[in-house]
Amino acid sequence: MATAPLVERPPAPVAEPPAYRPKKGVLSYWRLYAAISPFYLLFLAFGLIPVGFSLYLSFHRWDGLGSMEYAGLSQYRYLLTDTDFWSSIGNTLIIWALATFPMIFLAMITAVMLNSAVRFKNVYRFAYFLPNVTSVVAVAIIFGSVFSTNFGLVNALLQAVGLDQIAWLNTPWGIKVAIATLMTWQWTGYNAIIFLAGLQTIPGELYEAARMDGAGPVQTFFRITLPLMRPVLLFVLVISTVTGLQSFSEPQVLLQSTANESTFSGGPDHAGRTMVLYFFQQTFDNNDFGYGAAVAWGIFLVVVIFSIINWRLVQRRGED
Amino acid sequence: MRLSRRGLLRAGLAGTAATALGGLASGCAVPNGSTGRNMVLWYWSGGLSDTVVKKAKARYDDAVDLDAIQIGGYYRSKLITTMTGQAHVPDIAGLKGEDMASYLPNADQFVDLRTLGAEKLKSQYLDWKWQQGVAPDGSLVGFPIDVGPVVQFYQPAVYEKAGLAHEPKDVSKEMGTWEQFFAAGEQLKKRVRGAFILTDITSVFEMSIGQGTERFVNRDKHFIGDQEHVRVCWDRAVEAKRRGLASSIVTGTPDSISATESGKLPSQLNASWNAGDLKLQYPKTKGRWRVANCPGGPSNVGGSFLAITKACREPEKAFEIITWLLGPDNQAQGFIDAGLFPSTPASYEMRKLRESDPFFGDQITMDVYGPAAEKIPVAFNSPYDVALGQPIRDEIKNVGVLGKNPENAWKDAMSKCRRIADHLGVST
Repeated sequence: MATAPLVERPPAPVAEPPAYRPKKGVLSYWRLYAAISPFYLLFLAFGLIPVGFSLYLSFHRWDGLGSMEYAGLSQYRYLLTDTDFWSSIGNTLIIWALATFPMIFLAMITAVMLNSAVRFKNVYRFAYFLPNVTSVVAVAIIFGSVFSTNFGLVNALLQAVGLDQIAWLNTPWGIKVAIATLMTWQWTGYNAIIFLAGLQTIPGELYEAARMDGAGPVQTFFRITLPLMRPVLLFVLVISTVTGLQSFSEPQVLLQSTANESTFSGGPDHAGRTMVLYFFQQTFDNNDFGYGAAVAWGIFLVVVIFSIINWRLVQRRGED
Repeated sequence: MRLSRRGLLRAGLAGTAATALGGLASGCAVPNGSTGRNMVLWYWSGGLSDTVVKKAKARYDDAVDLDAIQIGGYYRSKLITTMTGQAHVPDIAGLKGEDMASYLPNADQFVDLRTLGAEKLKSQYLDWKWQQGVAPDGSLVGFPIDVGPVVQFYQPAVYEKAGLAHEPKDVSKEMGTWEQFFAAGEQLKKRVRGAFILTDITSVFEMSIGQGTERFVNRDKHFIGDQEHVRVCWDRAVEAKRRGLASSIVTGTPDSISATESGKLPSQLNASWNAGDLKLQYPKTKGRWRVANCPGGPSNVGGSFLAITKACREPEKAFEIITWLLGPDNQAQGFIDAGLFPSTPASYEMRKLRESDPFFGDQITMDVYGPAAEKIPVAFNSPYDVALGQPIRDEIKNVGVLGKNPENAWKDAMSKCRRIADHLGVST
């Protein structure tokens, strides 16, 4: 065997370009990896390392300046029994629901109307997008005026139709409604534009066929538009979940009070204190960075759970 | 422009190299504090008088290159980030009064100003303010900038209409105690329709706490927020609610602006620096305000410090700059420029601070602020005060705004405080 004739050796691999040699594997693509590496290096430095550090931090006590003290699982044990944390999750979800469902409804109507309107289409699209690019802080200040008790626009409208004034920013439910309205106002136009994009992918023949079969506008909407819009609807739901679970500036600016009080308390009875607001208060008001990190990981878990629910919804659609 | 594949690769590589180099550079060759002539001072907008800072730059120009930077946003977290990161740490740093207690346990990060001869200057400053800059180990961390004596801002025309005392001297005397102030509030409510002497009851609680010599946590890291001195302040605020002396108006909304302008909220208990806010928010009410003593005695809100960090390589020079910046003359200038109320009693006698103020009907407001600032009691401010005072503040707000039963609110506040204290390692 060892005496295999040399002449039978395969031809030298001169013809083969070196880059395609299988044994070099991944390394042969180093130039390509190098080309895309800046993002990953920046992500490592400013994304992954801080994330890892916050996990490390959540097992310690730290006031931000002095030395860290190992605390084991005690931060998490406290988190589990912390009624303030649980109520902040509740607040976030209630505000999210109050904002999202009217928003999707309004956005859908707006999109359908935009789709059928003929004139000034671009003007409308621009106008609907505008609330979304306006600074949240500015919007919240305006909404603070709109919802004020004696001279607010909302109460003026209520009184015009013969109803009583409501102390919007002084009652737990009023606060939630005010924040949710702000968010609805901000996101309706944005989602309407996305719905519009979806509507325009539905082939016109389907509508023509429906019309020939004698379907009215309502039937057409529920039998054709809505089923075909389902992926777009899910996308909008996912986006609104992500933004809704992160809401922070809206309650913070809307409910900021005098200098003697914390700006992160979320108003009377903490009705507007969302998860992120609670995280911020614990970390930066109380200088409790360890517990703040634990709260952040708690928020992460909540977001993961919601992502799984969203994912399941999409999966079921795939099975249909 | 078309990018070739090679060009793209080259750009990618250059980017990677730059990132890697940048990472390295911030890892080793970091300017840690001053090098040679450079002296960095961090403060926030309105934290020091800009005129005085400019003068200081010119004055110390031969010796150091004083670089005074206004840091925007959330000041404290930016400062502790650089200090923890040990890079680009300022030589001189402003420390806000409300954050002071949280810096003191880490006094080792700052230069002890006693070692630079601070004790010699002590007599020039308000004693209670000086004490607030002293760490538990006795070292002096903060050098006093300003203070915030609390007074009663009020509209004399409305008080007169209600048949109350309306000259500053009379108001100070006849509403000197909380009981007198509440009685005046009842009379105001009766005589002037829709008028309230208090916007909310939280200010009563807050100012009352400031009038005492104890707060929520003592020096031995023991929770004292459940004791008599807090309970008295709590009951006082509840009493104001019971007697219907507070409005249901939310501060900062058009409601509060309109009510203040029309005389429905003719009074505010707030620190001296609130005068600037009044002038800014209610320009139409010029001449319709006066200043009198806060009922129940002086209290303090706000007021800051300057400190020298351990990163500073020339502490003697830095200390010289600080003491010049915060001398009585320049503190007087700070009051004129930025409403920073001087922590140096000598400033109160200066002619430029004794000018009459047309916004306050040509009153010499210093006559009220000055004596109030000197009589503020010394209270120990624990680093845990914010965390353990908050539940009590939240519950008094619930009593005031939502009408929650005061006894239940107190119980809820106490049980929450005990839980938080336990978690923070504060004994109860």
